Amino acid sequence: MKKFLFIIIINCFNFTSAGAQEGVELFGYFESQVMGTKIGKEFFQLQSNKLRVDLSADLSDNISFAANFDYITYDGKKQWNILEYLSDEITSTVSSEMEDLYVVSFSNRQFLDNAYIKVNFNKFDLTLGKQQISIGTGYTWNPLDVFNTKDVLDPTYEQPGHNALRADIPIGKKLTLNCLYSPDETWNSSGKMVQVKGGVSHFDFTVTAIEILWSFHDYTQFDTEKSSFRLVPEKRHVIGGSTVGELLGMGVWAEYGYNDMQMTDNYYELAAGADYTFDSQTYIMAEFYRNTLGKTDHKNYSLNDWMRQFTSEQKTITRDQVYFLMRHPVTDLLDLGTSGILSLSDKSFALIPTLNYSFSDNMEIMAYLNLNIGRNGKAYSEESGNGGQIRVRVYF
Amino acid sequence: MQYKDQIVKIAVQVWTIVLLIIPTAYGQEMTGEEIIKKVNEIFNPASSYGRSKMTIVTTSGQKRTFEFESWSKDGGEKNLVRYHKPGRVKDQATLMLNHADDIWMFFPRTQRVRKLATHAKKQKMQGSDFSYEDMGSGDTFITDFTPVRLGDEKMNEKICYKLEMVRKEDSDLSYSRMIMWIIKENFVPVVIDYYDEKDPVRHIKRLVQSNIRLIGSIPTAMRSVMYNRGDNSQTELELLEIKYDLPLSDAMFTERSLKK
Repeated sequence: MKKFLFIIIINCFNFTSAGAQEGVELFGYFESQVMGTKIGKEFFQLQSNKLRVDLSADLSDNISFAANFDYITYDGKKQWNILEYLSDEITSTVSSEMEDLYVVSFSNRQFLDNAYIKVNFNKFDLTLGKQQISIGTGYTWNPLDVFNTKDVLDPTYEQPGHNALRADIPIGKKLTLNCLYSPDETWNSSGKMVQVKGGVSHFDFTVTAIEILWSFHDYTQFDTEKSSFRLVPEKRHVIGGSTVGELLGMGVWAEYGYNDMQMTDNYYELAAGADYTFDSQTYIMAEFYRNTLGKTDHKNYSLNDWMRQFTSEQKTITRDQVYFLMRHPVTDLLDLGTSGILSLSDKSFALIPTLNYSFSDNMEIMAYLNLNIGRNGKAYSEESGNGGQIRVRVYF
Repeated sequence: MQYKDQIVKIAVQVWTIVLLIIPTAYGQEMTGEEIIKKVNEIFNPASSYGRSKMTIVTTSGQKRTFEFESWSKDGGEKNLVRYHKPGRVKDQATLMLNHADDIWMFFPRTQRVRKLATHAKKQKMQGSDFSYEDMGSGDTFITDFTPVRLGDEKMNEKICYKLEMVRKEDSDLSYSRMIMWIIKENFVPVVIDYYDEKDPVRHIKRLVQSNIRLIGSIPTAMRSVMYNRGDNSQTELELLEIKYDLPLSDAMFTERSLKK
């Protein structure tokens, strides 16, 4: 009997392995990049190598699984003290014994970024597990995205995965209901989102409601028990919407989120943009962003504001900004462009000339310069460093 | 018996002559509108599924190869394209509805769907010499152009109808006019010349179709090459597999399906 069971188990194992191997796709990329920045008279470099291995499998007609594993190594200047990039007015408020606490370290890491199961039922889709959550129509800023903060220098880079249970439920031909639950320690502290998506004429729109516990830190107070800055979590309710469509021949979009805060002042975020492609294939785009959590006067930027921006807890330090992008395919393989960010509030400016070159079918090179043209103490100031980045990516 | 055989023989001969004469006469009488309607039927079957290989030969002579699957429905009004190769674009997908007036792109790396405005139709599809408009414009041959029949011509060894397609005033398509050579026997355009949006004399692209096979009842060009005269580049589109008149559901042409 034991022998019989053993044979069955072995056969089952063989069968499952063979089936899985047949259906599993392995792909991904290797990325090597060098980032350099000139601070004062010194030029610092940070190199990183990233291996991302994706796998996906269709387990049946309506069940699929996808995951990816990231392995990242860093070399060069791996420790950056944020205080070195801030004005004396800000740093003078920090006591000397706390200075080392403002060091950001880049350590080698490996992690499971995404791993989720997707089930397509007749009436709806269910996605369970660690997954990217992309909300909103904005290109550089997404007022409704409470889960991610984009890098304004590289806004299309992939975002980390979040634990979530997501249901996408079509309602008739025009509407879709998206429900998302991102579990935390308790139901109360977990993220919840309900979103209705629809379309009218050539416009798509969403209406969105979100509840989340926002984990702010107070970077002026250190919690010795937890060996970290003091956590000041606060319940946040976001209600808003987004739209994308076409007006006068241009692509247009807008996204709005009103944040009802449990303890601090309520605020809102608004992003609105337009884009156009000329006959010459030149593409232009501009996006305006207002975040009333940001300050209108750079003299009011506090240590907390800066730290929250550096750690992506807060999307911006300055209130009104404009992002623009112009890109032109110089040849079939080479795109040259430039983007820029102008703070309308503190009148500082960052210019980011970019280059994208397709070296072969599966190899691309991306490079950009980051030139901050703003007086010290402003959002895009020279003291925060001028530099650039070169990235080579090979897909497999 | 011999008399009966003779009658049958004569009848067959008469019928053969009728069969030969009628299409010729009919062909001569066909107007530009009728011809382009036939072309449109071939280009836009009720529904289709295809697996294609696209090879771009750049200005500098380098090659880039893509493989994708595509589905279309309602005479080309709905289109879905999903890339498989190279790895750089794996699982990227484009949904075009309302004859490419509405375009959504899905980027799997960021899991983001972006809606593109109609100006994006002018953009090159994956850097190729085909624009989104070329790939998903459905029945715009009929709705956006007025056909003018020119004299018949031989093109690439085929006897062809020659049509000039003049863009209608209210159309926003990227070509001011097109000249088409349409094979008389099967209504497949063997060559299409495209002219600049603003300068109707400036010849910018030429599409050459070949390797025509009958798939079901639809003559299909298994190979299409778009020559870009301005950039001196070319893109070859090779159909690896094609099926017509499949039962595709509307649900396939939605954002939900785009992300799959």
